[in-house]
Amino acid sequence: MNNALEVSHLSKDYGAFKLDDVSFTVPGGTIMGLIGENGAGKSTTIKCILNLIRRDGGEITVFGRDNRKEERAVKGDIGVVLDEVLFHDVLRPRQVGKILAGLYPNWDMALFDRYLEKFDLTGKKTVKEFSRGMKMKLAIGAAFAAKPRLLILDEATSGLDPVVRDEILDEFLEFIQDEDHAILISSHITSDLEKAADYITYLHNGRVAVSGAKDELLDTYGKLVCGRSELEQVDRALLAGSRVGQFGCEALVKDRRAFARRYPALTVDPATLEDIMVFTGKGDAQ
Amino acid sequence: MKGLLYKDIVVLKKQISTLLIFVVVYGGFCVAGVFDFSIIGALIAVFGLTIPMSSVALDDTSHWDRYAAATPAGRKGIVAGKYLFTLLVILISGLAGTVIMVGLSLAGLSDTPPVELVGISLSCATVTLLLDAILLPFLLKYGAEKARVVSMITFVIIFGGAILLGGMMNNGVNMPQLPSWLAAALPVVFALVSVGGFALSFAVSLGIYARKEF
Repeated sequence: MNNALEVSHLSKDYGAFKLDDVSFTVPGGTIMGLIGENGAGKSTTIKCILNLIRRDGGEITVFGRDNRKEERAVKGDIGVVLDEVLFHDVLRPRQVGKILAGLYPNWDMALFDRYLEKFDLTGKKTVKEFSRGMKMKLAIGAAFAAKPRLLILDEATSGLDPVVRDEILDEFLEFIQDEDHAILISSHITSDLEKAADYITYLHNGRVAVSGAKDELLDTYGKLVCGRSELEQVDRALLAGSRVGQFGCEALVKDRRAFARRYPALTVDPATLEDIMVFTGKGDAQ
Repeated sequence: MKGLLYKDIVVLKKQISTLLIFVVVYGGFCVAGVFDFSIIGALIAVFGLTIPMSSVALDDTSHWDRYAAATPAGRKGIVAGKYLFTLLVILISGLAGTVIMVGLSLAGLSDTPPVELVGISLSCATVTLLLDAILLPFLLKYGAEKARVVSMITFVIIFGGAILLGGMMNNGVNMPQLPSWLAAALPVVFALVSVGGFALSFAVSLGIYARKEF
């Protein structure tokens, strides 16, 4: 399996915020979910991949090609959906298609028309009259019609209702049926990524906090719910973070099988991506 | 590039239509004898300056450049597209202005000879090219809102300077005389300066965009 995207030791210093030594790989035929709290560095990472900002260090290759040295060819292989839809208000969907047909070498107008029909965007409405969901569907249809091999989506599903999100996730899953295709998607909505992603990279304060195969992460991490006295007896090295409340305690266990062997009396439930994100991000909280 | 040109034309369709109404209205005034036909030449400058500026303003509003930079067009494509669009606007408005003025002159509606009217069109197009060469790097660096101040200052310096110079000459102020060969070559020199300035401006804008972060 070839890698669609390789990011290694990426860094970008803004002074107040630093993206520090970020590395991850997106193999072909897979979806990588990029998660993290606001300001964790997700958009900065995506901007570096798209060469929208200058990186201070590191390497980025897309299908083995350097994203700066072979920028034009690399961008011809990437379909993009950014966090907001940036088409002019006065444009109609078909006009957006005609504009992008002049920009993308592999643009497929018939495919774009099919998506417009599928997403019910064939009317005379302009972008200004679209809801956020419709705008996102337009951007996603445009990204697919560029016939990319790598799809990059920055918070593309946020603000969409669950029905539309589900519809779009199905499109993503269909897209990666081709082993030569891959998706990098950043999202706050971890339930979407639990459904669709094969790999997860969690960015925290500009660094990779957790990265790996989603199923492996969900299988390894666990959530401990216990009393304060029980938590005090647990070896802290086994925990990634904990929360002490008035009526009980919760903690993220790094390896739930190893934990169960050592503390058989304590119950550890499977953790969700949100648990991993919240506990790792907050550490120990009272 | 083709896509970027098409985008500029489509998003500015409304404004271009409004400007065309201006041409019809001013043309009517000229036929009625209110204005001289040379005012059509001034409209070339109005088109050549306001349309590219509006195009940048609309791109700023929708943050289009962030998206365009992520496409294969990239930063170079965005700059090249804007300069090509500006050239096209000047060329088309210059041609249209010339055709209208010469047509009306040949129809006997103007006393100004056609050759002089062609000269007026060419001069206006050349001045517009030079002004755009000055304005475009500011537009692309600071955006349409902030660059408006620069455009106002440029207009005041150039047109104010021309009026001042004309006034001084009319009032008999002794101006240094240009050598006759230079005076004869002045239109060609000015055209070369404008074209060279536009090319230099393009290179400067490419440099600005290469450093820009989206």
